[in-house]
Amino acid sequence: MKETVIDAHNLSKIYDEKTIPVYALNKVHLHISRGEFTAIKGPSGSGKTTLLNMIGGLDEPSEGFVEINGTNITELKGNELIDFRLNNIGFVFQSYNLIPVLTAKENIEFIMLLQKRPKEETDQRVLELLKQIGLEDKIDKRPQELSGGQQQRVAVARALAPKPQFILADEPTANLDSVSAENLLDIMLKLNQEENMTFIFSTHDQRVINRARRVITMEDGKIVEDTAETVIIHKPK
Amino acid sequence: MLIKIAGRNLWRNKKRSVIIISAVSIGLWAGTFLTAFYNGMIEQRINTAIGKEVSHLQLHHPKFRSDYDIQYYLPDSQKMLQTIESDSLVKIAAGRVMLKGMIASAAGSSGITINGVQAEKENSLTKLQSKIIKGSYFDAEKSNEIIISEKIRKKLKLEINKKAILTFQDKEGNLAAEAFRIIAIYKTINAPYDESNVFVKNTAVDSLAGIPNGFNEIAVLLKSNATLDESLAQLQQKFPNTEIKSWKEITPELGLTVSVADQMTLIFMGIILAALAFGIVNTMMMAVLERTREIGMLLALGMNKFKIFIMILLETFFLILAGCPIGIILALLTVAITNKTGLDLSSYTETYSSFGYDSVIYPSLTWNQLQTVLLLVILTAFISALFPAKRALQLNPAESLKK
Repeated sequence: MKETVIDAHNLSKIYDEKTIPVYALNKVHLHISRGEFTAIKGPSGSGKTTLLNMIGGLDEPSEGFVEINGTNITELKGNELIDFRLNNIGFVFQSYNLIPVLTAKENIEFIMLLQKRPKEETDQRVLELLKQIGLEDKIDKRPQELSGGQQQRVAVARALAPKPQFILADEPTANLDSVSAENLLDIMLKLNQEENMTFIFSTHDQRVINRARRVITMEDGKIVEDTAETVIIHKPK
Repeated sequence: MLIKIAGRNLWRNKKRSVIIISAVSIGLWAGTFLTAFYNGMIEQRINTAIGKEVSHLQLHHPKFRSDYDIQYYLPDSQKMLQTIESDSLVKIAAGRVMLKGMIASAAGSSGITINGVQAEKENSLTKLQSKIIKGSYFDAEKSNEIIISEKIRKKLKLEINKKAILTFQDKEGNLAAEAFRIIAIYKTINAPYDESNVFVKNTAVDSLAGIPNGFNEIAVLLKSNATLDESLAQLQQKFPNTEIKSWKEITPELGLTVSVADQMTLIFMGIILAALAFGIVNTMMMAVLERTREIGMLLALGMNKFKIFIMILLETFFLILAGCPIGIILALLTVAITNKTGLDLSSYTETYSSFGYDSVIYPSLTWNQLQTVLLLVILTAFISALFPAKRALQLNPAESLKK
């Protein structure tokens, strides 16, 4: 049996609870196992990003809770939650979000430095990742000196560097051309296989969906289809 | 890592950094120069008061200063003066006959203080001769000479060689009057003083006042202000039945002036610091708001709030670090130059002289004052940076990442 990394129970996010409640997320249950390569698809406003934010501890659910490796992160507050994210979750954002004043190498080692990992280990890991993403020659380049695809590869390496429990990627290919997008997917799949790293994407991109081993479809804040379960969980009206 | 990010962040928006560095430099420069300006003004006023008006110490009959009655003169004045002059801490001492009276001319009259002075000693004590703008100083051979101020001359329409009548009460309370020939016109920077003081030789009024060879005031100029308290104590021991006051007690208005100047410095410093704080809060707030998404990302990645808070404070610290030396160098240069050349405020002479100040101010600064201004500027900058830093802490990562 595969080890469960993420366990989301009855997750809801309701805006304007007192007036007209709007369900950004509506009683969602989700289990993700180690090593999965999962895409969450759905139209805009279907709740993909909200679900990722809940799983990543960036947003609080109105109802329900999220367990990461048995820790209920919904109960964590302030710096406790930030520290949990630091040590367990990797993030890749749609618009790369690299630190503009740091070089590619410094961006990749950033989280490991926050974790106070030994310098030798950090340097070794950064070089290894730079090689894996094919940017050894861009080690001292700042983000503005890199293309969008290269920046996103650095962002993936940054997320991977500290070997988190899983990586959440919010529309990682949305701003990339098709060659860069394919390239990035190749790298992520390779890392998924080589390091058994769990990836969860929110995406509109069919290329990502095509290569995902599990596809979750969302509509109106609900999971309406999950290929892991091979049955439609909830039919749209 | 924090230091690296904060340091590099400074040059992401050069214009903004230059604004803060300039604000700190200008704040420091303005605060320091303002302190030096007031310092110079007060020092000058005190030096003028001691060197040209009241001297370091004054001796009187214990009742004299309450109503300036001539009957309260110093017994054995001459002997007392000799004893004081023989003191090694004393530079010079001079006796005076001080009378409240009237000066009259054909054009009118005016209430005045008649200073019956020992001509030579008085000149050494208060540089009276240097204040003369027209005419010549007392002639040792002649009597009944008077030196009046330019203000009194104008008011009573008097001229050199003309006569003015002085009227005052003698020791017995009788009215005494005498005509004096005007030999000189003086002018000081202290307009109120000029309006109410005339000078005659003590020998011309002491007998008329009923105290031949007596004084009701002895003014003492010390070799150094540093020995003020020591000399005061010594004289009090020597002349226990005499009222001996230092310049601080004789001219309480001077103490008030110092205190008003201190308060003015504080008010202006407050305004400068408030402007500095406003500038820093605004600029750093802009820096935080512009980087909302980035700060949200740092929070998401796991940089805790304390580190983000420190990062913003470090950025301000680096800006202050750049601004302070510039401000200090500018301030020290300005103070050094103006201390030599003086700041000529002659277009405001009337205003300044009505308060007893010279129109040329020589700003001066002590190390302690510079430290205080520096500390205040740094503190203000740090306190101002707390608001934007606190704002950064309130950001929600999920919301910030949407921006």
